[in-house]
Amino acid sequence: MTPPVSNSLREYARGIAGGLMFSLPLLYTMEVWWAGFVAEPMRLILYVATVFVLLLGYNHYVGLHHEASRWEVVIDSVEEMGLGLVVAAVVLFLLGQIETDHTAFEAIGKIVIEAMTVAIGISIGTSQLGGSSEGAKRPAKTEATFGGQIAIAACGAVLFASNVAPTEEILMIASECHLAKLLGIVLLSLGLAALILYYIEFTGSAPLSQTSDSLLNVIVGTVISYAVALMVSAVILWFFGRFDDVALLTCVAQVVVLGLAATLGSSAGRLLLQ
Amino acid sequence: MKKIEKNWLEWLVFGVSAALISTVIGFLAYESVTMGEALPDIQLQTGIPEARTGYYAVPLQVTNKGDQTAEGVHIEVVLRIDGREERSDIEIAFLPRRGAREAWVTFKSDAHNGALEARVLGYEKP
Repeated sequence: MTPPVSNSLREYARGIAGGLMFSLPLLYTMEVWWAGFVAEPMRLILYVATVFVLLLGYNHYVGLHHEASRWEVVIDSVEEMGLGLVVAAVVLFLLGQIETDHTAFEAIGKIVIEAMTVAIGISIGTSQLGGSSEGAKRPAKTEATFGGQIAIAACGAVLFASNVAPTEEILMIASECHLAKLLGIVLLSLGLAALILYYIEFTGSAPLSQTSDSLLNVIVGTVISYAVALMVSAVILWFFGRFDDVALLTCVAQVVVLGLAATLGSSAGRLLLQ
Repeated sequence: MKKIEKNWLEWLVFGVSAALISTVIGFLAYESVTMGEALPDIQLQTGIPEARTGYYAVPLQVTNKGDQTAEGVHIEVVLRIDGREERSDIEIAFLPRRGAREAWVTFKSDAHNGALEARVLGYEKP
């Protein structure tokens, strides 16, 4: 049965609202605009490809259409990315960041880099901000596989980490921070991951903690969550050129500093985004 | 495989999205192939001075002919008039590869009557 147009219209509107909620801080950040034209075109293409894979993963495991076939997941992901590009272009234009005297590369670079976060926001907005009437009809989420958990954790981490990753502050904190304090940040991140995943009982956390409360499970889950956060942090930092001409220690320190934000996303993502 | 059920709006959004994404990827791929490694090459062009309240503003067209972006582009403009020199300078935060920016430098003396000379003092890799 073909869904009525009014329903799809509401779905898109919901997605766009969600996309803006999650990505507005990035649209308002000048470091992100700059990264759009400083990055090589090849890096931007890689970024688009990576985000597309994330969208595929997210839509496959938690997307709006649970019974979706493989092709529908692809179509949904393409739509979200396309909407992301349009929304980013409109907002950047209104913010005065796309001017007629700019080169095409400058404008497109800015739009692409912003649109990717908007697209993830749209994806989450479409599936998570849904009204209860539709939600009731939806079958309960089938038990997410290990791969699914990782995909969702990665989406959450990207969403949280990308808001602070491009700022100068990460590099500043990383280069000034004492080793002992960095270690403290690692411990805080691990502690927060464990708390969010297994202790504080966010809505939706029950299925996870019910099945697995043994100490070993807690440790494994926490470590996986933190590992995903660190990996996402490293990829985002590399993408924003934060590893170029930087000593290895500073690179690691940056990953740890950003990892705290990413951990919040990866562990909360595993609970909230499903 | 079950049939995909979509209304015209969803197909339209999908079509436009697919076209947008392929255009963007195509453009980036084209840029990536054609873009060289040339270091920033900054050209300056001063325009006709304009009288403002109590000073004169000289428009400055700054163009980066290189394939790399320059950060913190510091530009100095010297006005030689009646045997003396008046200096003015400006800093542009980012000058994108093959991009251009418009700026103004100001002088107290009437810049119409003198000779203007602009040069780049320095810039860094972003």
